Amino acid sequence: MDEDSRAPLSNLHPVAGAGNLLPTTDEASSSTGRSVRIEWPTIDGPLGLSHEESLTYARRFFKLGFLCLPFLWAVSCFYFWPVLRHPHSHQSHPQLRRYLVGSAIGFLLFTTILSSWALTFAIGGERLFGHVWGELVMYNVAEKYGLAGWI
Amino acid sequence: MEQNPRPKTILETCGEEIIRIVTPVSICMLLVVILVSVLNRGSSLDDGISFASMATMAYSESSSDSIWDKLKGALLNSLVFVAVVTVATFLMVLLFYLKCTKFLKYYMGFSSLLVLGFMGGEIAIFLIKASSFPIDCFTFAVALYNFTVVGVMAVFMSRMAIFVTQAYLVVIGVLVAYWFTLLPEWTTWGLLVAMSLYDLAAVLLPGGPLRLLVELAMDRDEDIPALVYEARPVISDAGLGDGVARRRVWREGRGDFDEDQRLRSDRLPDSSLGSYLYGESQSARNIVDAEDGRALGGASELAAPLMQHINIQMNSLENAASSDNMALEGIGLGSSGAIKLGLGDFIFYSVLVGRAAMYDFMTVYACYLAVIAGLGITLMLLAFYRKALPALPFSVLLGVLFYLLTRLLLETFVVQCSMNLLMF
Repeated sequence: MDEDSRAPLSNLHPVAGAGNLLPTTDEASSSTGRSVRIEWPTIDGPLGLSHEESLTYARRFFKLGFLCLPFLWAVSCFYFWPVLRHPHSHQSHPQLRRYLVGSAIGFLLFTTILSSWALTFAIGGERLFGHVWGELVMYNVAEKYGLAGWI
Repeated sequence: MEQNPRPKTILETCGEEIIRIVTPVSICMLLVVILVSVLNRGSSLDDGISFASMATMAYSESSSDSIWDKLKGALLNSLVFVAVVTVATFLMVLLFYLKCTKFLKYYMGFSSLLVLGFMGGEIAIFLIKASSFPIDCFTFAVALYNFTVVGVMAVFMSRMAIFVTQAYLVVIGVLVAYWFTLLPEWTTWGLLVAMSLYDLAAVLLPGGPLRLLVELAMDRDEDIPALVYEARPVISDAGLGDGVARRRVWREGRGDFDEDQRLRSDRLPDSSLGSYLYGESQSARNIVDAEDGRALGGASELAAPLMQHINIQMNSLENAASSDNMALEGIGLGSSGAIKLGLGDFIFYSVLVGRAAMYDFMTVYACYLAVIAGLGITLMLLAFYRKALPALPFSVLLGVLFYLLTRLLLETFVVQCSMNLLMF
């Protein structure tokens, strides 16, 4: 029934139903613990993308993120987390990794800038900005332009 | 097999599937209840304000009307609404029949843009005003822009992290449900009952638009381009055993299985793939066939997504004409065996519970239990009949019943007991 279930590099065994040995992707195909092999590049595992499609998507996310969309970069890093997590893997794509690292750096940079501005605005308040604060804060802007009345 | 732990029982796989549908429904309801409690605190007496929208076209309720007038008005409003929705659904069936799927997809993207951008922005502004949160307009604009664009991509583009897509669908449900709770009270209840009866008719009657849509989709083996929440399929360990990674397809009627050939050179002859809702061997065989890359023609009744469709009219802009085709209703089984629940169901469940929250939290608990019980019944029927079923009737009718009973009977009982220090 179960042939060779212990052989680390054997590929397939016809499992007759209840074989419950679920190896992690790491153990499945590495004889040592050092080089980890990524089975699936996305966080969704077998439900996600294949390696070729991932490259296309990672590139698209990276380029679209330049339209002032750091959240897209963050989502991209989240989605391809296994690739980021295991940098020296057997199957890692250096190009895919490059896009992901770019996305991560872009996200961190943008977030730092944006949050420092937002925190300055929130904490500084009227003392720092004077009467301009009242004109920039969102609830006043909404009042002024009647943005909350559409619903 | 000897060294393996005990195999997963059917109860665990079964329970897992149900949990994966009940959790997002509960989260959606919880968020709507929170929004309603936070935002409608001060304006519970706003029945006098006329709230002009598509749903109150026929009759604008005001608190000074008699009960009979309100009842008639609510009935009229609901009939108008259901009529509009029927027309829109038939239109959608026609478009799908004429293979204008591109147009439908763009329309879907456009309506999610409207919901996330405009309604999300407005509700965010309400929240900011209510809490006096000191955010400036630039940060707000950037945040809203990011949120909206990524949301449209998650819903519109076929491949993004499952978690992100599911989260955005729940958010869309919450926003639309909150909008519906702004309608006058009698109209809301009338609308709920009317929509559940419509759902029943549209899915089960032979001439119903949703049934036509499902049959068309099944014949063509295509996905209906619409907003549907699909639970992550449960992958049992048996299917994945021993390092064989199989390409499961999520959210696609026909998958591309070619990569599978490259990675693996063998096939698992039989393995239950965790979708307990089918007969075990039957499903395994069909899904294994699918994984082998053969056309899904033979397994079409399992492979084709079974969903239903309804459009919800929203009048979220100034006097915009119908922006419909946004949501769906109905529960069905997806191509990978996962349960699919239309977004319209999320919305109407949350409207029910949100409306209950506007009265008191006791009604919220009662209605929540009723909705979940109804959902459970519907899932059991889904397991029995294995075809697309309307998910609204049981839950909404039970919910309305429980709301009335709680409000009329339970509340008096509980209050009297508490006042006399008898219980609670």
